[in-house]
Amino acid sequence: MFICEDISFDIDGQKLFSNINLNLKPQKDLLITGPSGIGKTTLLSILCGIQKPTTGKITYNSIDLYNLPENKIDEFRGKNLGIVFQNFNLINTFTVKQNIEIALSAIDTKKSIPFFNLLDRVGLANKSHIKVANLSIGEKQRLAVARAFVGDPKWVFCDEPTSSLDDKNANIIAHLIKEESLRCKASLILITHDNRIQSLINFSNILKLGEEL
Amino acid sequence: MIVGITTITVSVLVNQVTKETFSKNNPGLDAVVGAKGSPLQLILSSIHHIDIPTGNISYQNALKIIKHPAIKSATPISLGDNFQNFRIVGTNKSFLRLYKADLISGTTWSKPMQAVIGYNVSKITKLKINKFFVGSHGLIDTGDVHAEQPYKVVGVLKKTGTILDNLILTSLDSVWNLHSVTNKDKLEITSLLLKYKNKTSSFSFPRLINKGTNLQAASPSFEISKLLKLTGNAHRIVDYLSVLIIILSFLGILFTLLNNINERKYDLAILRTLGFSRWKLFSIILSEGMIISILGSTIGLIFGYIVYESMYYFSIVGRSMELGQLNFLNDLFLIWIIVNIIAFITCLIPCIKVYKQNIRSILLNS
Repeated sequence: MFICEDISFDIDGQKLFSNINLNLKPQKDLLITGPSGIGKTTLLSILCGIQKPTTGKITYNSIDLYNLPENKIDEFRGKNLGIVFQNFNLINTFTVKQNIEIALSAIDTKKSIPFFNLLDRVGLANKSHIKVANLSIGEKQRLAVARAFVGDPKWVFCDEPTSSLDDKNANIIAHLIKEESLRCKASLILITHDNRIQSLINFSNILKLGEEL
Repeated sequence: MIVGITTITVSVLVNQVTKETFSKNNPGLDAVVGAKGSPLQLILSSIHHIDIPTGNISYQNALKIIKHPAIKSATPISLGDNFQNFRIVGTNKSFLRLYKADLISGTTWSKPMQAVIGYNVSKITKLKINKFFVGSHGLIDTGDVHAEQPYKVVGVLKKTGTILDNLILTSLDSVWNLHSVTNKDKLEITSLLLKYKNKTSSFSFPRLINKGTNLQAASPSFEISKLLKLTGNAHRIVDYLSVLIIILSFLGILFTLLNNINERKYDLAILRTLGFSRWKLFSIILSEGMIISILGSTIGLIFGYIVYESMYYFSIVGRSMELGQLNFLNDLFLIWIIVNIIAFITCLIPCIKVYKQNIRSILLNS
């Protein structure tokens, strides 16, 4: 169960958003939408434990995220959350395989991950030794998705995963994210202002950020 | 760091081995009597065999000194020739007793032109019992040899760890015969190695020789302590220079790490988003710095030892220096520990910087 209570965030004394309340049951998906600049990416950072909210409480299965020591927040994020950032946040000097390996080493898991299957599912099996800097935008996006699902997370956050893609690639990425979240039995929390995404994935819950304000 | 540790290692080794060698080479001698000149030169040439003699003295005069009531033992030596840079020393058998020398094989000399060779001489020149060799004029190999009168090896000495290992010993008669000195009044030696019956003679006897004769008596302990004081200052300068280089290498490590984490701050922030905790990143950066430091200091120690060994092999002077026990290891280990402790403290600065990083702002700014 993922619960947000009265989340608000201020920048230099100005409220960016307030009174965000969410209650997401296991394996249920949530679409957070809204116009540009409304604070969608900031909200994702807050939900993932990267940015502390000004007020409010976030609980994952009764664990109060911001009540944990900072080191434990990092570990919790690594073990339970998968994140696909808008600008991918991949390590450009590493190869495709190394980016997956480093994500695995962060989790400290002893379970062996079938690299080939994982990269095959995202269509990068034949590019595992290519450096990220040499991949196309679509390939980087697919790698970011693969990395987010590497530890079988229970909650997956995606920030504008299709905004820089054409219709064909947006369709591929959207379906890939949905399929992987089903495989991991994860809840998908997708943040976007891209209207195409709603027709590609059926979300059970939708939060329109501007309207909440 | 490698340069700094190498320099300080060589300095420590040379300093310790020099002291140890000077101490081991002197078998408790109280004085050396020889021709007037530099007393240090007389000691270095007669006991340590690393300088040219001050000249020769009359054997008849030497015999008078030997009979002096203050003298417990006197060993005459006569230098002048070498074989492949190993000095040939004309002496009597008291020289062997002085160094408590034992033979590995053969016997001591019983007639002229027989020689007993030191352990290193045998090892390096491959001379063996019953082999013949010819000496060269002078104390270094010039190629000007006494071809007509070869020496015969009759004995090989056990290793002593002293200068004796690098000497070729023969009778005084051999040296005199070789240089065609037959008139007994004209016989000469280089110096006399003396032990007093009583240590109180340390003051009166040298004064007697230095003022009453045309000879000089020099005290080995006094001259060598003067020399070590002089070289000690040079060692200190080298040590200060090494410390300066090591400090610069610490700054090098610090700025390399700071520059490194600045260039990689985005990657480090990504690692945090993937689940690497602050402590994990802290320990990664610390490990990187310490690996540089441990590798640098260890390679420096090894290089230092190699440089020292090279000096030992390629220098005539160095050849008489030999590592005795491994006492120097304690000093080098202490240097290694201190260097790495300081490196550890230096590395904490970039580690704390990484620990305090705000990943949200780094990811936004990227």
